[in-house]
Amino acid sequence: MTACVQLHEVAFAYRPDLPVLKGISLAVETGVFLAVIGPNGAGKSTLIRLLAGLLRPQSGTICIEGADIRSYGQRQLATKVALVQQEFIPAFGFSVSETVLMARTPHFSQSGFERQEDRRIVADALAMTDTAAFASRPLADLSGGERQRVFIARALAQDTPILLLDEPTSFLDLKHQVAMYDLLKSVQRERGRTIIAITHDINLAAQYCDQALLLQPCSAAPGTGGTDPSCEPVGQYRTGTTSEVLSREAIENVFGVRVFLTRVGIENVLLPLGKMAKDADRAVSR
Amino acid sequence: MREDERVHSLLSPRTLLTRTVAAVALLVAIMILCSLVGTQNVSLRAALAGPGSPTAPNPDYEILLHVRIPRIILAAIVGAALAGAGAVFQAVLRNPLADPYILGVSSGAGLGAMLAVVSGVHWTLWGRSPIAVFAFIGALGTVWLVWTIGRITGRFHVTGLLLAGVVVNAFFSAIIMFLTSIARSQDVYATVFWLMGNMAEEDPFVLWASAGCVAAGLVGLFFISAPLNVISFGQTDAQSMGIHVERVQFIALAVSSLITAVAVSLSGLIGFVGLIVPHAVRLVLGPDHRQLLPLSSVMGAVFLVVADTIARRVVAPAQLPVGVITAMIGGPFFLILLMRYNRRVYWLS
Repeated sequence: MTACVQLHEVAFAYRPDLPVLKGISLAVETGVFLAVIGPNGAGKSTLIRLLAGLLRPQSGTICIEGADIRSYGQRQLATKVALVQQEFIPAFGFSVSETVLMARTPHFSQSGFERQEDRRIVADALAMTDTAAFASRPLADLSGGERQRVFIARALAQDTPILLLDEPTSFLDLKHQVAMYDLLKSVQRERGRTIIAITHDINLAAQYCDQALLLQPCSAAPGTGGTDPSCEPVGQYRTGTTSEVLSREAIENVFGVRVFLTRVGIENVLLPLGKMAKDADRAVSR
Repeated sequence: MREDERVHSLLSPRTLLTRTVAAVALLVAIMILCSLVGTQNVSLRAALAGPGSPTAPNPDYEILLHVRIPRIILAAIVGAALAGAGAVFQAVLRNPLADPYILGVSSGAGLGAMLAVVSGVHWTLWGRSPIAVFAFIGALGTVWLVWTIGRITGRFHVTGLLLAGVVVNAFFSAIIMFLTSIARSQDVYATVFWLMGNMAEEDPFVLWASAGCVAAGLVGLFFISAPLNVISFGQTDAQSMGIHVERVQFIALAVSSLITAVAVSLSGLIGFVGLIVPHAVRLVLGPDHRQLLPLSSVMGAVFLVVADTIARRVVAPAQLPVGVITAMIGGPFFLILLMRYNRRVYWLS
């Protein structure tokens, strides 16, 4: 197994006095499904943007498939890494197949049209994501779940070894959340893609992902509201297999909420408990 | 082929070629038809007889060749430039309300024209008044200014550009109004009438040079139309799909501003063409810029040739500014299209 994505001491700040990521080191091996978890403001999206080459780290190095990310041109990087952002509707009424085809744009012939190969890849991506049935409908006419699958299809059509997803399930109902994870899992298994996905659903991550990265905001320690000295200079993240990282203590510590742990089958299930939740005290004392 | 069936809604080069050829044929037919309409009745058959002898010139030939046809070609150039540029501006700025004037071309041209009048320069260039030359320089200079300001605002590039365009437009409009209020009235009238959008007979050299410039620009824009599709999904998406966003944006805005400036210096400010023609084509044929760009250009030419013919004819022998007609005809026509094709129409694709 080779490290497909490797971060060494990566630090990033939008403003010098406000570090977002500090001293992150991480190795993601080929074909691994990694969940990125953490509170709002912990730098999850920033990390994804760094990996997509949209931002440059102020210090540290990022390696994609063995080469420094800075050594890739934009076009070259787009053949390694595909990005699915949080869902949105574009300004003009492009259809599903037009949208998916756009991932092939850098490969078009001189005349600005797709080659046969591009059409084959698009058809394959549509079939894989179950979006072929509404390929000619405009994006705006689709439901949130359907539209998100189209963006997955577009990322697949980019034909990259690495897929980055920024909260792929955030606007989806329960059924579509599960369907999305099933789809991502099948992409990982059948296509051998490395997947790095931001998620807020700890339990789905535990069920589907191999590894997890738990990020903690840099300055404020959870619960206390003050500065946590243990956060300096590193240590504001945990990484490992999902069962190692997503422990009850870690989640309680990072998110600053009480968590109820139970076991269903082979899976740990973590249930967050607010102060006002019904049976909150009884559940925890159990 | 099964795979092709699955992605059947995609534009094929053959479809694009067929549609473009059909649109060009329509344009040529309309141009011929419109050249026969005017204050004087002209017979095509009589005109085809040739120029006649020097002592007895053929009036039909003279009118057609030296009056009507240059003006119709002019209208076609301006219409093609404005509609093509409008489609590009809408894509780059990701804004359906964008038109070729949004980044300051209009106020820049206006200011240039006003300065030409106020400063009282009287030289001519290829038979053109200094107004047109000043307007051309003013238009390009303003877009350059807006682009520079937009770059400085940085991260939210498109929003920065739009805001800079709006503010610069407002600022220059104020200067135009100031100059208007201190200038002599007949000069002001000439400038205002010119700015309203007007077609006049042009020197053949100017006509062909402009046609070449606009045609080259439109062909150049076609080659970035596939990246424009991606950019209309936003800069981040485009960048992550391997598009050089800044480069494409710069080429798109520079080329479309250039052909807009050419159009403005030929005919003043003709509103509406650059806004509604791309929308009309998009409503009927879909948003793919590889098709939108060439077909908007040809249909923009058709639209402006027809509008100018009406402007020549409707209050003959007086003439209306063509901008009046484009808005009066274009508006209702566009609303009908909007109501009829409120969704994308698949059976046409």
